[in-house]
Amino acid sequence: MSAATTELPTKEANLLKGHEGAVLAARFNGDGNYALTCGKDRTIRLWNPHRGILIKTYKSHGREVRDVHVTSDNAKFCSCGGDRQVYYWDVSTGRVIRKFRGHDGEVNAVKFSDTSAVVVSAGFDRSLRVWDCRSHSVEPVQIIDTFLDTVMSVVLTKTEIIGGSVDGTVRTFDMRIGREMSDNLGQLVNCISISNDGNCVLAGCLDSTLRLLDRTTGELLQVYKGHISKSFKTDCCLTNSDAHVIGGSEDGMVYFWDLVDAKVVSKFRAHDLVVTSVSYHPKEDCMLTSSVDGTVRVWRK
Amino acid sequence: MGLDEDDFVFLGTPIEREDEIASRKKKAVAGASGTLKTLPAWKQEVTDEEGRRRFHGAFTGGYSAGYYNTVGSKEGWAPQSFTSSRKNRAGARQQSISDFLDEDEKAEFEGQSLSASSQFDTFGFTAAEHSRKQAEKEQHERPSAIPGPVHDELIAPAPESIGVKLLLKMGWRRGHSIKDVRASSDARREARKAFLAFSADENTKESSDSLVLETEAETSLGPQFSEDIKFSETTPVYVLNPKQDLHGLGYDPFKHAPEFRENKRSRLSASKETGNRKPLSMKESLFGPKSGKLAPGFGIGALEELDIEDEDVYTGYDFDQTYVIEDEQPARPSNDNNTLRLTSKEHNVLPGFGAASNSDYSVERFAPPKIPKDFVARHKFSGPREAETKPTASAPPDVPPPEDKNLKLLIDGFATFVSRCGKLYEDLSREKNESNQLFDFLRGGSGHEYYARRLWEEQQKRSGQSNLQLDVKVLPSVQKMTAETRGSLLGERPLQKSKKEPETSSSGGSFQFPTNLSDTFTKSASSQEAADAVKPFKDDPVKQERFEQFLKEKYKGGLRTTDSNRFNSMSESARAQERLDFEAAAEAIEKGKAYKEVRRATERPIDFLAGGLQFTSGGTEQVKDTGVVDMKSSKTYPKREEFQWRPAPLLCKRFDLPDPFMGKPAAAPRARNKMDSLLFLPDTVKAAPGSGAGQVSDLEEPKKEPEVEVEVENVERPVDLYKAIFSDDSEDDEEQQQPMNGKTGDGQEKKNEAAATTLNRLIAGDFLESLGKELGFEVPSDTPSEGTRPMVADIKSKGRSDASSETRPGLNEKSEEKRSSVKLVSEEEKSTQKGEISPRNWSGRNDLSSSESSGDERRRKRSKKDRHRNYDSESDSSSDYHKRDKHGSRSRRKRRESSREKRSSHKKHSKHYKTKDSSSSRYSADEERKESKREKRRRRD
Repeated sequence: MSAATTELPTKEANLLKGHEGAVLAARFNGDGNYALTCGKDRTIRLWNPHRGILIKTYKSHGREVRDVHVTSDNAKFCSCGGDRQVYYWDVSTGRVIRKFRGHDGEVNAVKFSDTSAVVVSAGFDRSLRVWDCRSHSVEPVQIIDTFLDTVMSVVLTKTEIIGGSVDGTVRTFDMRIGREMSDNLGQLVNCISISNDGNCVLAGCLDSTLRLLDRTTGELLQVYKGHISKSFKTDCCLTNSDAHVIGGSEDGMVYFWDLVDAKVVSKFRAHDLVVTSVSYHPKEDCMLTSSVDGTVRVWRK
Repeated sequence: MGLDEDDFVFLGTPIEREDEIASRKKKAVAGASGTLKTLPAWKQEVTDEEGRRRFHGAFTGGYSAGYYNTVGSKEGWAPQSFTSSRKNRAGARQQSISDFLDEDEKAEFEGQSLSASSQFDTFGFTAAEHSRKQAEKEQHERPSAIPGPVHDELIAPAPESIGVKLLLKMGWRRGHSIKDVRASSDARREARKAFLAFSADENTKESSDSLVLETEAETSLGPQFSEDIKFSETTPVYVLNPKQDLHGLGYDPFKHAPEFRENKRSRLSASKETGNRKPLSMKESLFGPKSGKLAPGFGIGALEELDIEDEDVYTGYDFDQTYVIEDEQPARPSNDNNTLRLTSKEHNVLPGFGAASNSDYSVERFAPPKIPKDFVARHKFSGPREAETKPTASAPPDVPPPEDKNLKLLIDGFATFVSRCGKLYEDLSREKNESNQLFDFLRGGSGHEYYARRLWEEQQKRSGQSNLQLDVKVLPSVQKMTAETRGSLLGERPLQKSKKEPETSSSGGSFQFPTNLSDTFTKSASSQEAADAVKPFKDDPVKQERFEQFLKEKYKGGLRTTDSNRFNSMSESARAQERLDFEAAAEAIEKGKAYKEVRRATERPIDFLAGGLQFTSGGTEQVKDTGVVDMKSSKTYPKREEFQWRPAPLLCKRFDLPDPFMGKPAAAPRARNKMDSLLFLPDTVKAAPGSGAGQVSDLEEPKKEPEVEVEVENVERPVDLYKAIFSDDSEDDEEQQQPMNGKTGDGQEKKNEAAATTLNRLIAGDFLESLGKELGFEVPSDTPSEGTRPMVADIKSKGRSDASSETRPGLNEKSEEKRSSVKLVSEEEKSTQKGEISPRNWSGRNDLSSSESSGDERRRKRSKKDRHRNYDSESDSSSDYHKRDKHGSRSRRKRRESSREKRSSHKKHSKHYKTKDSSSSRYSADEERKESKREKRRRRD
């Protein structure tokens, strides 16, 4: 256990301050050298989290920014938020390349596809919308509206779109076979995250539970408890080795569970207030947490 | 002409023709009656009440009013006569609005001025006004000694209205409001508002626990307020706002911006109640947030509306400091200066004092009383019934039953009944059956001793039962005496108790107890209890009632006659079905009970019933209960369901994936299952299951053929099939007339053969279609117009094919191929001959497949080889698909060997096919050209 904890990023390496008000999401870029954060102050900020430097601030959103995602080539990023639009940005110039309008409510999450050809957004209007970045069309390529309630989170694989919704389902839309697999968890799904081997989906539910699902069978593999997640959107993710599950808690704690036996391996107070987002470095053992208290912290082992 | 007419000068008034006026009037009448309204808007005319047209076009006169657009009349303008003399001076004429109003306007105007007639003038306002005016008028007429209108105002001869009189009689005094004292009046609201403001202001300075204070103050002030109101008059209470700020007297910082006052108030109250953020009604204020908590620091644009989403959900963070400071600043430093004020940082703590970490005062909480382990949460009434049925200490002597069997039975049953229902029943029936000979035993007649004995026995039994609860330990003597044993002794056949034939009790007789009555009564009621708790037919109350009745009868027996007519509405079979349902349900309940007991034994309480047995009207079925979450969530969740989902082609393209639905028609709605789709497909589609079959067979072929072509066939097959089945006579005729194809004689037979094969295929297709469906392939949806043309010729050709199939039943594969080509030729020729059914006609037909065919077109262009195969498959499509795999290549070769003419025609045909499938007519227009080019190319290689 002690060996395990030493592997985990539990030491604060940097504190990123600058957001006024709650930070709603913090995301590493593809190689983990930079981080994008967004928050209630309607800005998106680009950081070098390892040196703790704010590089750029992107302002254009009319309401709070809820999620942000960077393309794999680091050239573009997309963001979404309370103004019901998905913004497609150029990283270097800071210009908005395109705004995708169409959601009838706030947009909760946004993700690029593997090739960065499309953006998939998850909205309060119970839909997932796929937006085309290649063409100049601002109409959605596809609207997936089989969800019964707000879609909170979206994850993309090379061939699938996975969405987690407040209706308690994690729905996988497989483009190869044209099937929709709906896994009903019976609890409001807050955040979903896919394991690095791609076989499991981790679903953070609002009954203060994280659930690990087998993707092929839809089986419930493990349940992780201990943290508080009842009313806010808090993130969960897996470490790079898929050995541990990380979840943010509403009391400012961050929890680490062992993936297999679901024991709380480590927990520590990361923030004073709700931890809104947890993002794991794609390669190293490094973690970003963001909180309502307006700070983003970088954690290393 | 026009000039000539202009030269004429008309004098005098033209005489209006009679009929003209009549028609005008008619028109007006018609307009009024609404007949004109049926006309379109641009044909309707606006006329006045006399039917004259008043609106003309802007260029034909505009609006005409008055008398030919003059203020005069027909008689002309008559000046008012003005006379003034020394005696009678003409005063300045008072103009009133009525002088300038038209009649209709006047009517309108009159309608608006509404006043109470003096009769209903409760408060006499109108009357007073009226009388005042009257007095004024009179005063003008006869000037009085006292000049001016003073005395008229003083002595207004207003009559007391009946309402006032009544009110006065009821104790109302003038000047007082007549509102209910308790009702929240405006004054009260006003006062309350002021008080709130007061307390809010108070709170900024003494930021004490304001909520408590406020409520306290409110309660303490409550009676006072009501007292105020009791004496409140019609004049509103003037609320004194205490001066709370340090502004100069009379200075109002919000004088010109009252919205900010509200804003400030709301903010203050919001800061007061940080705990419970109840949204204040700030709608009247322009900038006031709808809820107490707003995302801090980030105002939104003035034109945007504040929504619920702007609310700050993360309440933990206090951004109070970021509030914009207004010009009311001087009030704040004063807070800090005042040493005796409570510091705002630590609430409720005076300087020099520290807040106690633990206070002596704590709400004492008592644990709920301990419930004894053996406590049963059900109240047992120790009513008179129980008391009465207490078994008498001394048992009556055992008396042999009376001779009369009927009487014995009656007594037995009655005794059981009385033991159940109490002594009261006995008394009642004794009274009732005073004259009935049968009930003599109640009044000490024959059989009374026996009755007493039976009653005692039954009571004994019952009391024993109640003591031993579920344990049915009957005394041996009692057991001996049950009706059943007795009945068997007497050779009676007891009725099946599980069966509830209404006719068993339908036979006459004033009193008839079922023979197994006593027995069923004595049976344990436990099962009944369980049944009571479970309501398996909740959704159908009537059925549930019947079920309960059924249970009652099953376990307790009872009088069935009463309910027998209730079932009459049901058919025998329905009743039988229901009976089965009930039996199953009862069994399930029994089982559940057993299960429950088992669970109880293992000391893991689980509510079995919540687990959910639900009986629907269709029969019994186990339904997963979604209500139970915690215990069973691990079992019921996660639930996986699979649906079809069609990704957009572009999406697949963007993900670099092949579209799984490429070329397929739109997916059927999700809820459909296989049966549905079979049942609800239109007949035309049912008739063409061969298409699905062909599709499957194609898939089963080696995968050399790209998937693409499968779809192509998929679309084209129905057409082909239809042709095979419903090819019309005219075609045949043309075929025969055509010298171009040499096998005219064969043509018809071949066609008939083809028809036979397609019919065969229809049969096989049913199976294969279902197979195809299971594999996830859609049957191409049929265009509605598809069948129209062939259907016309249907009858004719069918008759023909029948006739000829008799003569030539043989089926050889070669001729079949030829047929296809021959037929195709004929088709082609027809289209070329008759221009009107040529491509365009076809193209309009198959519009559903447009996208597919266009895609197909692209693919054709892509590779010539593919195209070849494509055509082959097309032409093959009508041939037997069973033989296709084997003979495909051979037939192709053969076809190539066939005559040049035929080949070319075949190709032409294939072109024709394409046009058929493409819906765009422009595409088909230049199809000829393209095709010829292509043909050339093909010939080259």
